[in-house]
Amino acid sequence: MSFIEARGVEFSYSPDEEKVIKNIDLKIEKGSYVAILGHNGCGKSTLAKLLCGILTPTEGQILIDGADTADEEKSFEIRKKCGMVFQNPDNQLVASVVEEDVAFAPENLGLPRDEIRKRVDMALATVDMTEYKEHATYKLSGGQKQRIAIAGMLAMSPECIIFDEATAMLDPTGRKEIVAAMKRLNSEIGITVVTITHYMNEAVEADRIIVMNKGEIIADGTPKEIFSEVEKLQSVSLAVPQVAELMYLLEQDGHPLPRGVLHAMEAADLLEAYIKGAKND
Amino acid sequence: MLKDVTFGQYYPGNSLLHRTDPRIKMLILIEYLVLVLVANSEIAALLSLAFTVFLIAVSGVRFGILIKSVKPLIFVLAFTAIINLFFTVGEGEPLLNWGFITIYANGVRNAIMMLLRLLSLVLGTSVLISFTTSPLELTDAIEALLSPLKKIKVPVHEFAMMMSIALRFIPTLIEETNKIISAQKARCADFESGNLLKRIKALIPILIPLFVSAVRRAEELADAMECRCYNGGEGRTKLKVMKSRPADYAFLLAVTVLTVAVFFLNNISVSEIINLCKAIF
Ligand SMILES: Nc1ncnc2c1ncn2[C@@H]1O[C@H](COP(=O)(O)OP(=O)(O)OP(=O)(O)O)[C@@H](O)[C@H]1O
Ligand SMILES: [Mg+2]
Repeated sequence: MSFIEARGVEFSYSPDEEKVIKNIDLKIEKGSYVAILGHNGCGKSTLAKLLCGILTPTEGQILIDGADTADEEKSFEIRKKCGMVFQNPDNQLVASVVEEDVAFAPENLGLPRDEIRKRVDMALATVDMTEYKEHATYKLSGGQKQRIAIAGMLAMSPECIIFDEATAMLDPTGRKEIVAAMKRLNSEIGITVVTITHYMNEAVEADRIIVMNKGEIIADGTPKEIFSEVEKLQSVSLAVPQVAELMYLLEQDGHPLPRGVLHAMEAADLLEAYIKGAKND
Repeated sequence: MLKDVTFGQYYPGNSLLHRTDPRIKMLILIEYLVLVLVANSEIAALLSLAFTVFLIAVSGVRFGILIKSVKPLIFVLAFTAIINLFFTVGEGEPLLNWGFITIYANGVRNAIMMLLRLLSLVLGTSVLISFTTSPLELTDAIEALLSPLKKIKVPVHEFAMMMSIALRFIPTLIEETNKIISAQKARCADFESGNLLKRIKALIPILIPLFVSAVRRAEELADAMECRCYNGGEGRTKLKVMKSRPADYAFLLAVTVLTVAVFFLNNISVSEIINLCKAIF
């Protein structure tokens, strides 16, 4: 059984408004690393909130580890298993002091003090913010706040974390670090990661990419598959990673090169081989 | 406009007052307020003054900071003193009779007493609570002290949570206000000229966006808290547990004795005490 399973999900914020999410069937396996792409307002954040049970579908159902998100009695279990990091760190920090904030989730779980301490220290170390333990949260920079928000989620030790544009406020270095942290969580601790992003270079790191448009899933596959269909992505106002675009343009110019190349080194090797081959002919 | 707002007045330190259990400090504060307000005879006032000086000395708060905290009150202090000085009608000969100004000995006494009482209230409360207790300790202490009210269904935990979140959001909202002011200024809004009514009207374009954004923040925060398994106060544990040591109880007891002593000394004048001493020896 998949960890998250959506069956025929539809959602609208109020009955007389248009549906924001339409007819979504989706399975996310345990331990996978999934990226969700789509342009502004296509319903990514709404889907994320549905997937972790903050919102419940108006039609269809969502199962998290077998528990229906519409079932009030299981909501605490669901919360514990599936966490979410939001875009704006300012609105998700609860306490004035860093370690108090990170301790918020384990405190809510009613864990003993030693265990809370252990989890807080572990979570802060994971995001490399141990030295800021006793700082005031309002004095941190945007990126540092976001790391604390991630640490706050880690301290809950959920099985799945959904990141809703969690890197949007970070500088390139900060973004790289957070993406590295996500990868590490996924590969080392085995946490299921779902990340929503507008940065194609981040999406490339995932095992699977889901592309949304107007509340529907229009493509679902590995990065290689998704970024091979350049026209399709461009038709929903999405870009492809620069490397994939280069290969695509060369192909359009009549050079028989493969599509869906994602990494610069891979592209360089292919191009080298191609140019050498062309010379020899 | 809001350039120099420092958040809270807490000065981290390790003095006796810093180390005292915040719950005990709250109780001591209540006794202290009673003590200062009740002290009416010279000897009682002297005792209360001595205790205030003791608190200040033991708090380790720098003198300059104390002066700074009294500065905004100078007008109020001077005003009360003058009112008491000129408008107390005493018995016997006035000390001074100069046109429409008459000053009685009683007036001088009242003015000094009132001045000392107000100063004690301000300084004593500051060193006991504001300067030496972190906001979190304060809300925790209030929650703990009011917890008996939970039995009659008073939402004590919710109240304390609201208070600590409010404290956490003060700097965020101040920052936001500054941003809105700059944005409105960039659109040629004028906040600094015109009469009072005009200036108040100019504040509306600041308050409305601020209010809207505060509501939006609150919604997001509620989602984030829910995501972190917040479920009300029930079954919650704490990273930091308040501990009261024997020394804390001793302190409380000493202040209780002092308060009772003040009640007694209020009914005895200085001459009576001298007589009492003579009788004993
Ligand atoms: N709380 C809400 N109430 C009513 N409508 C909403 C609410 N939140 C979002 N919407 C609407 O739902 C649609 C999808 O919004 P959503 O936030 O899911 O988009 P998104 O894909 O996350 O966009 P972005 O890339 O900008 O974050 C939008 O048309 C938006 O106007
Ligand atoms: Mg969004």
